[in-house]
Amino acid sequence: MTSVLAVSNLRKTFGGITAVDGVSFEVRDGEILGIIGPNGSGKSTLFNCVLGQLRPTSGEVRIDGRLTTGMRPCDLNRLGVSRTFQLLQVFPQLSVRDNLILAGQEHQGSMASRLFGRSDAGLGGAAEKMIEFFRLSHLADEQAGSLSYGQQKLLDAAMAFMAGPRLVLLDEPAGGVNLTMLGNLRERLQAYHAEGKATFVVIEHQMEFVMALCTRVLVLAEGRIIAEGAPHEIRRNPLVIEAYLGH
Amino acid sequence: MTRTGAIIVGLGAIAAIAAPFFLKPFGIFLISTWVVLTIAAIGLNLTLGYAGQISLAQGAFVGIGAYTVALLTPVGVPFFIAFLAAGLLCFAVGWLLGYPALRVQHHYLAFVTLAFTTLVFLVLRNEEWLTNGIYGITGTPRPTLFGWKATAARDFYFLCLCVLAVLSLAIWWMLRSPWGRAFVALRENPIRALSLGLDTRRYTLMAFAIGSSLGGLSGALHAPLVQFIEPNSFALGLSFNLLLMVIVGGSGYFFGPFVGALIAVLLPEWLRITQGYYLLLYAAAIMVMMAFCPSGVLGLVERARIALVGRRKEPATSTLAEGAGP
Amino acid sequence: MASFIQLLVSGLATGAIYALIAVGFTLLWQTSQTINFAQGEFVMLPAFFVLGAMNAGAPFWLAALIGIALSIVILGLLFKVVIVDPMLKYGVLPLVISTIALSLFLKESAKDFYSSQAQPFPALVPPTDVHIFEAVISSQSLVVLAIAILTVVALNLLLNKTRVGRQMQATAQNPTLARILGIPVRQMVLYTFLLNAVLVAIASILVSPIYLAKFTNGETLGMAAFIAAIIGGFNQVRGAILGGIILGVLDNLSAAYISSQYRGAFPLIILIIVILFRPQGLLGRLEERTV
Repeated sequence: MTSVLAVSNLRKTFGGITAVDGVSFEVRDGEILGIIGPNGSGKSTLFNCVLGQLRPTSGEVRIDGRLTTGMRPCDLNRLGVSRTFQLLQVFPQLSVRDNLILAGQEHQGSMASRLFGRSDAGLGGAAEKMIEFFRLSHLADEQAGSLSYGQQKLLDAAMAFMAGPRLVLLDEPAGGVNLTMLGNLRERLQAYHAEGKATFVVIEHQMEFVMALCTRVLVLAEGRIIAEGAPHEIRRNPLVIEAYLGH
Repeated sequence: MTRTGAIIVGLGAIAAIAAPFFLKPFGIFLISTWVVLTIAAIGLNLTLGYAGQISLAQGAFVGIGAYTVALLTPVGVPFFIAFLAAGLLCFAVGWLLGYPALRVQHHYLAFVTLAFTTLVFLVLRNEEWLTNGIYGITGTPRPTLFGWKATAARDFYFLCLCVLAVLSLAIWWMLRSPWGRAFVALRENPIRALSLGLDTRRYTLMAFAIGSSLGGLSGALHAPLVQFIEPNSFALGLSFNLLLMVIVGGSGYFFGPFVGALIAVLLPEWLRITQGYYLLLYAAAIMVMMAFCPSGVLGLVERARIALVGRRKEPATSTLAEGAGP
Repeated sequence: MASFIQLLVSGLATGAIYALIAVGFTLLWQTSQTINFAQGEFVMLPAFFVLGAMNAGAPFWLAALIGIALSIVILGLLFKVVIVDPMLKYGVLPLVISTIALSLFLKESAKDFYSSQAQPFPALVPPTDVHIFEAVISSQSLVVLAIAILTVVALNLLLNKTRVGRQMQATAQNPTLARILGIPVRQMVLYTFLLNAVLVAIASILVSPIYLAKFTNGETLGMAAFIAAIIGGFNQVRGAILGGIILGVLDNLSAAYISSQYRGAFPLIILIIVILFRPQGLLGRLEERTV
């Protein structure tokens, strides 16, 4: 059975610096894979290479067995890959509802049908459901820019899910979120995942978040994978501890 | 649109309809020019204000549209067909120009359109067998539609006004549709837009092609309006003028082009007193504007409204707005 | 063969001038994201400074120095401080539009405050013919070529062998990193503007004897700068030099073989071909998508 995401020997160099140094791993259908590692270990670069934001120097990325190395992010998205961003990227001028409709509209019909069809591209109902699922109903018509940071994080996640993706890559979803909201976020992510809808890959710094959410964890240091296993194993792995403490 | 805004637009529409009954022929010519220029400016606003690309070829597209109609109608092609042909031709040319130019990140479209304008000028000037070169083409007939002769100044004005109304409605529809949302996304955060499956290149290209076709449609009306066209009218100067119209009015605002075109048409009259330093002052004014209110007249209006009312009700839509950032 | 050599030499001379203009343009873009649409007018203007100084009685060599100095102050310092700096916070678009307006402003200023007529500009050396291998080459072309080459060499030395030059390069390639490394970025950016002012002034003095000092010179020269920069690869100084030379040579060669009516079209066609088939230019790299 082909894995949802397969990365082989991915390398990315910037001039003299090797950010990602021959990373290979697979993501199985339905799992929540966590990728952790100290600052500068190459996690974000790895993500950006997988997602088409950067062109890898060498190596391969396959989604459902299909070669996708270097594809543009919009084409990847249409294959069912979605992401959230480390630095918040909602559209502050649009309402919450419009943000969600925007997030899903490019999957509805063709460009032509979108021009002549309904103003909400038929996503009114889906957007409502998503708003309820993430408990943002009271904010549905507010400008996204006026939401609190934590609320925007929820919206960010909601937008990533609107198109019903196969694979969601979350880039530091817990960053900057307070404890209460964090619990909320994690619980919503688990609920979404439990409905059998998507495979997740999560980059995260906050250990507790990762341990509570992920089914398997990869540890990256200096551009290479140094450990892999279940969360509780990773926690006790001396290599991992050293990598973190050594920084 | 806010209620005050709707009232102002309503009043403006009434004024536009009533005006020709109170104006002498030159006045009617001025407002007809305003209508025709507004159409071209709406097109450029789409390219610049909504898709964030600089086009220095809008004047050339007006020229292509004008010559298309000036060459087709005297040989018996119905005006309506020639009109559509002008629009379609400019759409196709716009697409062909934009496709390679928009693949690159830098503002290559600006340079390509600059080169294109010069090329068009050279062709119009040199291919005398087709365009009559510098001697130009005179006497493009005004159309008769469904038995109604639009030859008189006032009648032709109303024809232009109708075309403007229809096109404005079409653009308004487009901006209300998912495409409009896509343009906002494209402008505010193209990286996020890409990650949501939005093909930013395709949307930008469409905006440019549609914008260019509007330039062609404007030209199609321009030829029978002025009834004498020659290559110099469509050189870089016109493209600059249209660019400045869009900016002065407020780039990215729906009614920006209307305001900008009005100012552009009336300004030379007002600046007659400056005795030939007109262009110099115009250029200086633009630079000052870019420094203090890059979002144009409508941007100023919005700022005033926020200052008075307190809270933003409508999202600022200008690509040139303060704080838009690099 | 003889006429080919003549065309080649004059092409190289023109190309060297284009290279100077294109290099300044590229440097401005690299260091401060400034797309200077007025670059052509920047080359048109210093000639008028020189003529003005000569009208006030200065001998040519002094007037040339005054021209360069005025250029540094007005087209370098004032341009940066009055126009570019206040605009940068609004992003690239308003600045580009400002420079478009600036090009019109400078053009009209020259026309209104000096003259709308083309003005003769003193040649650098008395025009004599030099004979090389049966080809008749004007001393003018050779001198232009020599000065332009000297300037390019000096530029290279400045950028690669001096500390300030290397700091400027670092700032151009990665301002954030440069700042972290302790390079005074704001100063370096200022130097780039001043350097551009010097380059355009030199180009102006070299080109005006041939083209005459005309307020419309900016249009063709500006276009040449943009095309040269794009041919070379927008973000490369070496590319700008290469692009300028190629453009100059091709342009001159084509003059002999293409009808004069479409002379101006040749560089434009080159631009369109480059954009179609190799948008990153000859020396550029395909842009990394940004995070």
